[in-house]
Amino acid sequence: MPRTITQKRRQERVGFIMTPMIDMVFLLITFFTLVCNFEAAEKIHLDLPKPDVSEAKRLEEKNRVVINCEMADPGRPTSTGALYRIGPNLPESLDVISARLAAAKAANPQLKVVIRADRRLPFSAVREVMRVVADNRIEIMNLAALMRPER
Amino acid sequence: MSRSALSASALGAELAALRGAGAAVRSAAIDPFVPFRPRRKRSKPAREVGFNITPMIDMTFLLLTFYILASSFEQSEGVLASRMPRSGAVASVALPISPVVVRVQQVGVGPNDFSVAIEGAPQRPASFEELTGLLRQIQQKPGFDSETPVVIQADQRVRWDHIVNVWNSAVRARFRNIAFSEE
Repeated sequence: MPRTITQKRRQERVGFIMTPMIDMVFLLITFFTLVCNFEAAEKIHLDLPKPDVSEAKRLEEKNRVVINCEMADPGRPTSTGALYRIGPNLPESLDVISARLAAAKAANPQLKVVIRADRRLPFSAVREVMRVVADNRIEIMNLAALMRPER
Repeated sequence: MSRSALSASALGAELAALRGAGAAVRSAAIDPFVPFRPRRKRSKPAREVGFNITPMIDMTFLLLTFYILASSFEQSEGVLASRMPRSGAVASVALPISPVVVRVQQVGVGPNDFSVAIEGAPQRPASFEELTGLLRQIQQKPGFDSETPVVIQADQRVRWDHIVNVWNSAVRARFRNIAFSEE
């Protein structure tokens, strides 16, 4: 008995060609794996200084303490207040930060400090942190800035 | 039931089957248009041998989602290194040789109203590029080299961005000892 058209259709395999999709997904994964670089959690989001032809270099992440200086009121760019925090911690007073630096310096004499300050802050706000760093006799102080875009 | 009785009944069944087959052969022999078809041996249903890619695709999509969410296409950041005086607080150490002093002053209310000047230099740099050039010229002069200290005297109101730019210009001019001092 001849088969009807409906029966024939039922027997046809309906599939989804996944090969191009998998190709694209692997391509994207390769791209992201090569492009991605993971930043340390201690770097909170800040509008860092952008030197014209930056000489900033990458710094290895050991033996270092990052002090973040952010604007107390980012909505008002003219405001001069600053908030200070060590890494991703909550904002603290400079006295507390000084005590923490002293403890860190006692534990590790090779300690380096990285000052990450918002570019809109006045020099006076950053100078206070420098004073704290110097008072704790920490010799190496690094200023965070954006690096030259890679070509 | 005895064994002989069992074999007899089996024999009977075989005979009946043979009779039936004989009849079929006879009918085939009578009708020449009926083709002879040997009985096909029933084969086992074919097993599909495949590669199960579902977990691989799951993992791939998971990785892709992770990278898309975790990546940010921001300009990467670095540091401009500096060394603090070995003893005491900032600017308490007397400099052994006369330094190059760069003054950064706020000259207005706006965030970009500032001026840069090198102490003793006849001209004021109009840009950080020019500042780098002037510092390089100073370094070429007799009595100056890359170890000559550069002291940045900055107004407290100047934006941090400009101060870092001045510092960066000194680093670009290949000066190694750069420091801040009180105005």
